[in-house]
Amino acid sequence: MQTFEFYTPKTISGALEYLSDKGNRCKIIAGGTDVIPALRREEVRPSHVMNILEIEQLRGVSEEKDSIRIGPATTFTEITHSDILKRHLPLLIEAASQVGAPPIRNRGTIGGNIGNASPAADVLPAVIALDGELELQSKSLGVRILPAGKAVEAAYKTCFGADELLTGILIRKLPGGTRCAFCKLGRRNAMARSYMSLSVVLNAGKDGAISDVRIVPGAVEAVARRVAAAENVFIGKKVQASLIDKAAETLAGDLVGVWIPEYKMPVLRSVFRHVLGRVL
Amino acid sequence: MKKRGIGIGCMFYGIGYGFSRQDISAAEVEICEDGSVIVRSGEVDYGQGSDTIFCQIVAEELGLRYDTIRLITADTFTTPNAGPTSASRVTYVTGNAMLKAARALKKTLQSVAEEILGEKDLAFLNEEIYSNAHPEKRIALSKLAKEAHLRGLQIVETAWHDITTADVNPETGQGDAYALYSYASQLAEVEVDTETGKVEVLRIVAAHDVGKAINPSNVEGQIEGGVLQGLGFALMEEVVQKGGYLRTESLGEYTIPTSMDVPQIDSHIIEVPVFSGPYGAKGVGEPALIPTAPAILNAIYNAIGVRITETPANMENIRRLIQETKE
Repeated sequence: MQTFEFYTPKTISGALEYLSDKGNRCKIIAGGTDVIPALRREEVRPSHVMNILEIEQLRGVSEEKDSIRIGPATTFTEITHSDILKRHLPLLIEAASQVGAPPIRNRGTIGGNIGNASPAADVLPAVIALDGELELQSKSLGVRILPAGKAVEAAYKTCFGADELLTGILIRKLPGGTRCAFCKLGRRNAMARSYMSLSVVLNAGKDGAISDVRIVPGAVEAVARRVAAAENVFIGKKVQASLIDKAAETLAGDLVGVWIPEYKMPVLRSVFRHVLGRVL
Repeated sequence: MKKRGIGIGCMFYGIGYGFSRQDISAAEVEICEDGSVIVRSGEVDYGQGSDTIFCQIVAEELGLRYDTIRLITADTFTTPNAGPTSASRVTYVTGNAMLKAARALKKTLQSVAEEILGEKDLAFLNEEIYSNAHPEKRIALSKLAKEAHLRGLQIVETAWHDITTADVNPETGQGDAYALYSYASQLAEVEVDTETGKVEVLRIVAAHDVGKAINPSNVEGQIEGGVLQGLGFALMEEVVQKGGYLRTESLGEYTIPTSMDVPQIDSHIIEVPVFSGPYGAKGVGEPALIPTAPAILNAIYNAIGVRITETPANMENIRRLIQETKE
């Protein structure tokens, strides 16, 4: 049984004040779907735990002229029901709706998915594919904007400072005609840790040539990233199915490394073909 | 590529403990002065519905509504020993004890009713006892119970049922292993993704010989639950040890099916009554689980020509076997 000081700030400034003093020995908790099992297994033994669920500004989805802002304490269920996201970022809803099962989605948050930095995270790769940016705040550095792809430096380790709080996920609205697709493979149809996921965002110009494509596999490397080599196969080419196999092979070649087990490779190729088939 | 296949699994299973192991059960049925009925059984209902069928059996015999019976179970201070809830034996053994106790009580009540109504051919129905030949001659069960009490008769009956077998010859293996057997066949239709190795079970058709389904809804429930357990056994369950440490320590790591993994399940209840069972009933608890994994594994062979000899037939194992088959 662990004991720690439990603090629930009502404002962002209250949270930052607490973190500036205790950040280096404090665990931040929102829904708790990752933190509570970790506390139980004694993987973390913080002397302080800070609950951010009562800070209003950290919850909810809001729309600005060119971008969408999502509070880190927004639950996956809230994300799947958001009209703003349905209209502008359905990829995020596809990813969020497949996390665990309804009870997990009612408590788990997008900020937690990012902050926990699990290699098997479902939503972070989708945010990376959408070129999302993370807003961090602290007393020492003020407001800092970080591309989502740079958030995680190693498995279960973000590059956030000990006194930093994730206060927003900012995603630019996608140009009209953008196609997105997400796929998650698990050992069962619900409550399944991601065996592998794939997020794809693709844009073609008026002439039909692909101008922009972002491919982000999940649960295949310690740190999720865009696979540029596979993306480059498509750039400037017309939308066609014959490109898929070439890109799938490039994807596999690019990812063979220490992390991804050999047996996952053919699976990745198959998932890739499936997802690209939906998007092309 | 996705390939489909169909497979069949068949089984027979011994009901009870067999092999001369003690297999007895007692039940108690009591009728109170006001006509209410108390049933006592040591049996534990852990979700299969034995509580329900005990009430059904007593209600059927005494002409009551089964939901008015007061059932007390699994109380070592007041309930008679019914043996464990296991070996698919509860309906067959304790159900029989329940039937015996109910019929013994009915005999006492019948004798009082014969005296009061002056008729011998009587029916127990809708909380009344009436003459079949002259239905206007009737008495409420509650009144009959009062009369039995006033006469100082036996208004509580405990009955035992014993299915202990003689055992088999230890050298030849021949003899009386189990009291009786249940039989079942299941068909599985699967779709195998040859690239990912993922197996999806599309449909299971299950035909179970249960003798008599005292509660068909419960029997279907047992079949569906057993099928899902068999599916998990075939495709998901795996205890993983590495370096002497258990890696699958909790349900977070040990994969079993959820409601989202349930395929279409068509249950067929085959009723060929066995004279030794209560109303002809046998057992279905464990039989429900047994043919499923063989059916699924046979379906996988039908789909991709690969023989699975070790479970789980998960993504990695299927892909490895496909690869080995090519070589």
